[in-house]
Amino acid sequence: MIVLHAGVNEDQLLLWGEKPIEEGSRTSGSSRKGAQRPQVERLVYDAGRDALSAALTQAGVGFKLSRRRVEERIVWLPTIGKTPLASSPLIAERPSSRAGETIAPWAVTVLRLTMEEALELLSLCVGKKTLAPGVIVGEDLAFWTSALRLAGTLVARHRFLPGIAEKDGVYRSRWEPVLLGTDAERLARLARAMPAVARALTAEAFSAPAAPPASVLSGFITGCVDYLVRLGSPAETLPAKPRGSRKKKPSAFESVHDQWLHSLRSPDGVMEGDEAELSRLSAQVRDWQRPISVSRASPFRLCFRLEEPEAEQGRRGTADQERPRPRSADPLIPCSRVPTLDGESRPGGTSVPSRPDPDAWYVRYLLQAVDDPSLLVEAKDAWAASKQKSSILRRGGFDAREYLLSSLGQASGLCPRVEGSLRTSEPGGYALGGPGAHEFLTEKALALEQAGFGVMLPAWWTGKATKVRLTARANVKSPSMQAPSGLSLDAIVRFDWEIALGDQRLSLEELEALARVKSPLVRVRGQWVHMSSEEIQAAIDLLKKKGKKATLRDAVQMALGATTTATGGVAFEGVRATGWIADLFRQLEGKAAFEEQVTPEEFRGTLRPYQVRGYSWLFFLKQWGFGTCLADDMGLGKTIQALALIQRDWASNSKRPVLLVCPTSVIGNWEKEAARFTPNLPVMVHHGVTRSRGEAFKDQALKHAIVISSYSLLHRDIGVLQNVPWLGVILDEAQNIKNAETKQAKAARSLKADYCVALTGTPVENNIADLWSIMEFLNPGFLGSQSDFKKRFFIPIQANRDPEAAKHLKRLTGPFLLRRLKTDKSIIADLPEKLEMKVFCTLTKEQASLYAAVVKDVEESLDSAEGIQRKGIVLAALSKLKQVCNHPRQLLGDNSPIPGRSGKLARLTEMLEEVVEVGDRALVFSQFAEMGEILRRHLQETFGQEVLFLHGTVPKKHRDSMIERFQGRSDGPQIFVLSLKAGGTGLNLMRANHVFHFDRWWNPAVENQATDRVFRIGQTKNVQVHKFLCVGTLEEKIDEMIERKKEIAEQVVGAGEAWLTELSTAELREIFALREHAVAQ
Amino acid sequence: MSWRWRDFDHYWHYPPSTPRKVKGGIKAQSKRGDFGQSWWAKRWIAVLESFEIGQRLARGRSYARGGQVVSIKIEKGLVTASVQGSRPTPYDVEIHVKALSAAAWKRLAKDLSAQAIFAAKLLAGEMPQDIENAFKEAGLSLFPGKLNDLKTSCSCPDWSNPCKHIAAVYYLLGEEFDRDPFLIFRLRGMIRDEFLKLLGQSGEKSARRKSGYGQAPVLAPPPETPQEEPPPPEPLPCDLPAFWQGEALSDDFFGEVRVPSLAAALPKRLGNFPFWRAEEPFVEALERIYEAASHAGMDVFLAAAALQPEP
Repeated sequence: MIVLHAGVNEDQLLLWGEKPIEEGSRTSGSSRKGAQRPQVERLVYDAGRDALSAALTQAGVGFKLSRRRVEERIVWLPTIGKTPLASSPLIAERPSSRAGETIAPWAVTVLRLTMEEALELLSLCVGKKTLAPGVIVGEDLAFWTSALRLAGTLVARHRFLPGIAEKDGVYRSRWEPVLLGTDAERLARLARAMPAVARALTAEAFSAPAAPPASVLSGFITGCVDYLVRLGSPAETLPAKPRGSRKKKPSAFESVHDQWLHSLRSPDGVMEGDEAELSRLSAQVRDWQRPISVSRASPFRLCFRLEEPEAEQGRRGTADQERPRPRSADPLIPCSRVPTLDGESRPGGTSVPSRPDPDAWYVRYLLQAVDDPSLLVEAKDAWAASKQKSSILRRGGFDAREYLLSSLGQASGLCPRVEGSLRTSEPGGYALGGPGAHEFLTEKALALEQAGFGVMLPAWWTGKATKVRLTARANVKSPSMQAPSGLSLDAIVRFDWEIALGDQRLSLEELEALARVKSPLVRVRGQWVHMSSEEIQAAIDLLKKKGKKATLRDAVQMALGATTTATGGVAFEGVRATGWIADLFRQLEGKAAFEEQVTPEEFRGTLRPYQVRGYSWLFFLKQWGFGTCLADDMGLGKTIQALALIQRDWASNSKRPVLLVCPTSVIGNWEKEAARFTPNLPVMVHHGVTRSRGEAFKDQALKHAIVISSYSLLHRDIGVLQNVPWLGVILDEAQNIKNAETKQAKAARSLKADYCVALTGTPVENNIADLWSIMEFLNPGFLGSQSDFKKRFFIPIQANRDPEAAKHLKRLTGPFLLRRLKTDKSIIADLPEKLEMKVFCTLTKEQASLYAAVVKDVEESLDSAEGIQRKGIVLAALSKLKQVCNHPRQLLGDNSPIPGRSGKLARLTEMLEEVVEVGDRALVFSQFAEMGEILRRHLQETFGQEVLFLHGTVPKKHRDSMIERFQGRSDGPQIFVLSLKAGGTGLNLMRANHVFHFDRWWNPAVENQATDRVFRIGQTKNVQVHKFLCVGTLEEKIDEMIERKKEIAEQVVGAGEAWLTELSTAELREIFALREHAVAQ
Repeated sequence: MSWRWRDFDHYWHYPPSTPRKVKGGIKAQSKRGDFGQSWWAKRWIAVLESFEIGQRLARGRSYARGGQVVSIKIEKGLVTASVQGSRPTPYDVEIHVKALSAAAWKRLAKDLSAQAIFAAKLLAGEMPQDIENAFKEAGLSLFPGKLNDLKTSCSCPDWSNPCKHIAAVYYLLGEEFDRDPFLIFRLRGMIRDEFLKLLGQSGEKSARRKSGYGQAPVLAPPPETPQEEPPPPEPLPCDLPAFWQGEALSDDFFGEVRVPSLAAALPKRLGNFPFWRAEEPFVEALERIYEAASHAGMDVFLAAAALQPEP
């Protein structure tokens, strides 16, 4: 276990780590470099070089730890007496009393990261709490990922300028961030969010660091920006590649400018040569940048406002949303102000500023207060402002006249019309015609805005939602068919296009009339509408094409908004359909109900009402050939809904197999559930070394209804799997293919089947990056290619925060995704308050061989034992076998590694992942304290968060504080491990909504008592109880016995497990014996 | 002025020039081709080149590039320079430019302030194209003509005036024009701040600027870029949550991140780099860099490794 930390010292990112003190390893924190720093002791939690190196390897970073960059630094930590306080209870418990805290220096091993390495590591950390089991991302490291991402946004948005920096006589070209307006605010906000540990490193122990967060942060961001810009323009793209030596000599450049430009694209940016010349260049660069630094310091900025022709304005009567109303805050300057939400009243007398030509569009120059953007002063008033002795325009020594002149001078380079307007002595703006206004809206406004000027556009242009535009709608006619059954998505349908403007339908003639107007801005019923001639032409072309043909699949895709290229440049409005196609669309969009299916006859068990809906939904979409993703919450029964579907097909005599792919840990569970709910379905497990291959596999598969296999084999055996004409492919825990580039994801996409189903309990719809891979498996092509998807959805949603794109994606994926939460009102009504489930797990090979060894041992001694001795042997055997089922380490009692050795633990980890992801809380019970410790350790390392562990020897004070923390704050621990014997009373853990029994106490009463701790009066949440058992082992058999005679069990079983000792040797043999399928792998 | 056979010989045969090397001389930025990038620098040089002095122009250029000019001093109406030739002592060069009278400047300022473009462009570091016309309309000329307004002299033995030494200084001045459009004004007897003040007054009869801190941020540039006060030191807090945890950021912290449709708007606002002489045009080179950088920045922001195909 290691917690990774990162601090910035002298603009460099330094990585270090904390790890818990291992028993018996280091007891005193003596410094290795005692001679150099006699006063600084080594941090007891210092991870050291080897642990850092191991953690990076585990995290999967590509770089190697260079010995040269492993250094000693000083970290200043809160310390009580001689004890530094660790970052988290995972490293060391914090003392209960915090008296006498000081900041004290400790020696620590750091790794100095190059920018390249920092970028790689920080990118890995985005949104993660752990990089690998036991490799935890400290909050400071997470903080630097945000800083790097902020630098990324500055670079993406072109907020940087080339510059030169000099340090110790060395000149280096540098890309410098430009933080104007909101970016400056963002930097300040991020600086406030910085954990102090992020700036707690120093080279020497003389004094504690006190550099303010903002300067530490901006130093780092400047470094990131410089690096990222260079990253975008790698040296290979240079036109003049230096010949021979790697570095170009200054004399090789024609001018110092060539050298500067070259160095701006070189990795290190170092410029050599005549110092006087470089210093001169550096001064020139500063001069050149000066207007930007001036505007950064200026209290006002130049702002351009596009105004509609006044004549139209008057006719309309209502003022535009963004049209400012005058305000008389300053008695000397007529000001205007954007109306606030409550709407300021318009003072009488002053009016909307007038201009020469009321029929023309107008771009007005205004000065906008930086700290109060709604405060606007017209340029024509600003020109005169220098006359006034006191004026808002004179605060801070601001000279409005000069500022306006120089800003307009700069803007004139971007917008030639501005230059034209400067032909008068005190320009207030310029008039322009329709095409000019269009150009301003579509091009110039952006250019000006991106250059840091303010731009105000009419609300009808900026307000996306109310924008009236030309739209195309497809009219699909349903072929005359009696019923959709038997129809497939490949059926051919015909459709026509229909063009509308807003809600008004346009005829060909009207469109042609519009085309003749040749103005991109047209006023339609009091509203300005933007229509390019290409758009109008595209609309005309669409109308002329009558009776186009398409497959039903295309029509569905269009209806859901998947394809918009079909309409040329015209905005695509949707598909209108009649007849059964209209019904289909409505059903897909959730606007009409689909037929509810009856549970197949052979299905044993009762589906809850919401399960019937889920199963009917699966069936409906499957009938049409659509792939579906059932993403119900854990415990809602995805398994049985899928089984019902398979049963239904089998019963309807299709008799073709369904391939079910799941994680190895749930193979046993699927087998059990199939046997329970669909006992007459032939099930085959394709797993393990004895699995069949080639034609033999195909022959065998064709005789079964369900073939269960695992993700690891999906890729390895893909050749064999592709060979079978599957009826369906079902992926359980489908998040396993969320990364489209992995081998199993590619293999899954390569399978051919009539239908595809993905089952998952994680909210896939929230993670846009993962959605593509799953959808591509389910409905290939619906979301376009991966790069299309990135362009159309991923970047707009993640980066541009475009609600339209998010809505669009939802519309496109919604019909194929069903996610119901256990908290949904309609679901709660269907659920019992306490939902009990058995989780069937498999043994690993190691567990199986240990199990066999224990059984052999016991059988030998059973034969010769009697009476008390026999009882003792039986109880000991029971205990040992349970331990084997739990984890080999528990039986062996050694310190061997934990992961990958226990089927139950693997399954528990997977299930808890879902619990943690959705923010639920869970109790995990084991009757063994040793197992509890193993669980705590493993779960802490896996989830990178504290896991509480209560066992018999925990003092009451601690126990109470654990309970309080679990019950308390919302960011408290999510997992609580309890040994079943520990304090059976007085526990009130109602915050948990999941209970896991990792091993079984063969006494239902004891288990129920434990469960009831989370299930008390006043409990509003539904509670899920998961009882773990290993298939094919005594756990399963004893469970069967209890189930078989439940009533008898109550009497027979009594209070303990002693009843088992009463069984005959033959019965015991039968119970102990390891059955088939117990092992997976 | 005495001359020897060597000089005579020099005049007739143009032997290879062997001026003495100068350490730290003013070297021309231009390493080939023409001097001066801006139209006004070109215009200045055109005046020199209108003298028919043959090879001396080329010599002057190579002197300017070779750093033979030891120093240049520019005052109102007068440029004095010292140029190293083949003799041990550098020659003294003087260029007198006829200054315009105060009345003439006032008249001009009145004409120019009728259009904001002159002040706007001058403030943005550019010489407005039609300023020469404005001078003409006021009955003045911005650039010195060859006979009336320009007097040059050099202490060298060459009887030609201008000689190559004068030419070298002249070329270097041309480069200075690129950097500072107000240089020509200075030579004509008017410094930048005064002139802009004149412009302001004519446009705005009463524009009286106060002195001191209230001074214009643009016209009277602070010696350095405006720098905020160094923030006060902040010692590390002892408080455990603040030390290890810091504050959470809101979901929309990064705001809307969009790749601009127009590349490199900030440098475009600042305009072309003065006296740019690299082979690649400045703005075009930056545009390419900015466009490429967008993608690198966006990928880092999105941490979009998941969506990038494996190599």
